[in-house]
Amino acid sequence: MEYAHRAVQAVSPVELLSLQNVSKRFPNVLALDGVNFDLRRGEVHAVCGENGAGKSTLMKVISGQYQADGGTLLFKGRPYCFGSTHAAEQAGIAIIHQELNLVPHLSVAENIYLAREPRRGWFVDRVKLARQAQQCLDRLGVHINPAEKVRTLSVAQQQMVEIAKALSLDAEVLIMDEPTSSLTESETCQLFRVILELKRAGVGIVYISHRLDELEQIVDRVTVLRDGRYISTHDFAHTSIDEIVARMVGRSLQEKFPARTSVPTDICLLKVTGLVRKGGFGPVSFELRRGEILGFAGLMGAGRTETARAVFGADPMDAGTVHLDGELLDIGSPIDAIRHGIAYLSEDRKSEGLAVKMSLAANITLANMAAVSSRFGFIRFGAESAAARRFIDALDIRTPSEHQIARHLSGGNQQKVVIGKWLFRDSRVLFFDEPTRGIDVGAKYAIYQLLDELAARGIGVVMISSELPEILGMTDRVAVFHDGRIKAVLNTRETNQEEIMQYASGLDAQSAQAAPANPLKASLN
Amino acid sequence: MKRSLNDKQKDLIQKFAALGSLLVLIIMFSATSDAFFTVSNGMTVALQVTSIAYLGLGATCVIITGGIDLSVGSVLALSGVAAALAVKAGVAVPLGMLLGVVVGGLCGIVNGLCVTRLKLPPFIATLGMMLVARGLALQITGARPVSDLGDSFGELGNGALFRVENIGADGFPNVLFPGIPYPVLLMIVLAVVVSIMLSRTTLGRHIYAVGSNAEAARLSGVNVARVTMFTYVLSGALAGLTGCVLMSRLVSGQPNEGVMYELDAIASAVIGGTSLIGGIGTISGTAIGAFVIGILRNGLNMNGVSSFIQQIVIGLVILLTVWIDQVRNRR
Repeated sequence: MEYAHRAVQAVSPVELLSLQNVSKRFPNVLALDGVNFDLRRGEVHAVCGENGAGKSTLMKVISGQYQADGGTLLFKGRPYCFGSTHAAEQAGIAIIHQELNLVPHLSVAENIYLAREPRRGWFVDRVKLARQAQQCLDRLGVHINPAEKVRTLSVAQQQMVEIAKALSLDAEVLIMDEPTSSLTESETCQLFRVILELKRAGVGIVYISHRLDELEQIVDRVTVLRDGRYISTHDFAHTSIDEIVARMVGRSLQEKFPARTSVPTDICLLKVTGLVRKGGFGPVSFELRRGEILGFAGLMGAGRTETARAVFGADPMDAGTVHLDGELLDIGSPIDAIRHGIAYLSEDRKSEGLAVKMSLAANITLANMAAVSSRFGFIRFGAESAAARRFIDALDIRTPSEHQIARHLSGGNQQKVVIGKWLFRDSRVLFFDEPTRGIDVGAKYAIYQLLDELAARGIGVVMISSELPEILGMTDRVAVFHDGRIKAVLNTRETNQEEIMQYASGLDAQSAQAAPANPLKASLN
Repeated sequence: MKRSLNDKQKDLIQKFAALGSLLVLIIMFSATSDAFFTVSNGMTVALQVTSIAYLGLGATCVIITGGIDLSVGSVLALSGVAAALAVKAGVAVPLGMLLGVVVGGLCGIVNGLCVTRLKLPPFIATLGMMLVARGLALQITGARPVSDLGDSFGELGNGALFRVENIGADGFPNVLFPGIPYPVLLMIVLAVVVSIMLSRTTLGRHIYAVGSNAEAARLSGVNVARVTMFTYVLSGALAGLTGCVLMSRLVSGQPNEGVMYELDAIASAVIGGTSLIGGIGTISGTAIGAFVIGILRNGLNMNGVSSFIQQIVIGLVILLTVWIDQVRNRR
């Protein structure tokens, strides 16, 4: 029925893109199988699906990075097949990747006009370059100095530069792959303002995000994919998040968070006192109890990740003490921390978590090689494969085998591999930095269950998260960071999203009472 | 079970490019020269390949970590003359050779310290060592060969196992089987040991991890500095050994030996599929690469091709094999 509905639309002139029955095959796997998708002018069309559902592959087909093996692709009513992303950009289809593609040592203006610099003779026309870049940024209504070097910008600002670059190409179709995954809430608000602006200008936006709760703010229609197949397309006004989720997973999900089975004890497990990193954060002091899940909330750059990294020995600390089970630890490097049973799962899995050229199995055992090798350091490959298969099952990692090279896994599955690595290493204290970022709904639930199980075993878990519902749903207590310090430690059951946001934005308890109704707006300035 | 087999097949196919070109070379040279495909020429090639192979083993480990060692050609000269000078001064031959290996290892420690402590780029650190070691070798010998070392100094380089000969009617010995030269035996043993180390031990796994993602390895508790240091020390010690074997073959200490050998070693690793970005490489690949270079030289020599043309051909072969490798990895 939906299909018939679509066929009528395909002749309508407002269609920017129209894909029918598109398929894409890789060795061993049919990544896309009969997918339909269309995009109108001035609409935001979300593509939803679990990790490995084919979202990224579809985007790469649309943007010319891959060529479809079957089906028809129409752009403004004409069949197309771009040989490269460059050709697609020329035609007006631009993609903004999850991992941003900017040259860090060049300025904002130089990045926007990279390889298309305005020239005077053989030389770059710097005046014109700066003026045009400024115009681009003004159109978006963002305040970024075009002369600034890109590496000094925040991730959110870099994303704006990418969008400005796409606009300067007169893109009519803009593909955004997980644009909010590393943005704070206030930065997300700013991005959404820009997206609404683009909509008004008639740009069609393809939007991919795992944060379904954001969709209602910007999205007009949603297309659901599952296991590379087209499932359905919905008008967002006539559907619900629950229905979309049900379509994504092929079943209905009752609960977003599992019931906590573990009960935290009063026994202090980890005690951090007066932790300081000069020019970074601190002093920070906190206690983690046995069997507790402690949340670290706060805005990006407030010192949450930095604190965890310092305790773990990944970055040097200038002052402060760390006691574990009453014993004073001397942690100079991650090796010391791991030996004492402290683990840290980094937020940036690609650059800090995964050895991408190694197999899934080798990644899982990397932090605990001793468990799968003999006394003389010879690896027991049978034990290694068994361990890897255990976590493939437990975490539902989608892979042909445990020998798969990590680079070939999808983003969410890579994250699961990194989590598996730390679960394989029995630890007493686990720092999870944004453990569910970029992970699909079903897997999120599995990870929450794991956190609960770990806590039930008496392990102390610190969960750093920018998603407040997750903090409220999973933690026992929450430490709220602001500007390098802990502003408050709250009992999760007795707090709410607003209170946490107020502390995170630097408002103290008194002024919090008189704070504006929407703390998000307040934190914008 | 079936999956692991598939992976092994993939691995074989990956090596096919280098292995295929090796077979093509052998067939081609067998056709053009009668003397090429004989037992004695086989041993000659194997003997010629040994130096590249020893150095290639070390180079492979260093390159897998994402580094490079340009100093081995000079280090082998310094180690060789150190061993020769020691023997000339009255030290027993095995001890003198051991000293040579130790000198190479020390050079490797200095390289490793420069890379891990001073955080110098490996290219620069080992470029410095390349000049320093060569200068030292020339300085301590006055740029003259160290000779009159006695027959026992030549034993390691010129001796062979299972050599069969009889004295002919003319009084000269007839060689029935040239034997397996000691350097070739040493090459086989070392290649097997390093290969097992890389593929089957935790140390080897850590070497790959450092090259694949050093930060991820560090945060997983891998002692990145120690692993990196190990590869440079191994490369240095193997260079020291290469020096001893080479000087033994010449029965003299030659401070000018080994110029540009580092490039042969790197080339053999690269032809064998080792990635200069790090994280990828195998010893079997490097061994194939070393033989590709060795057989090219030997076969071209037999066909009377000038050494200038040989350089051109080897250069083109490197470009070709690495290009094939790139195309294959491009999915």
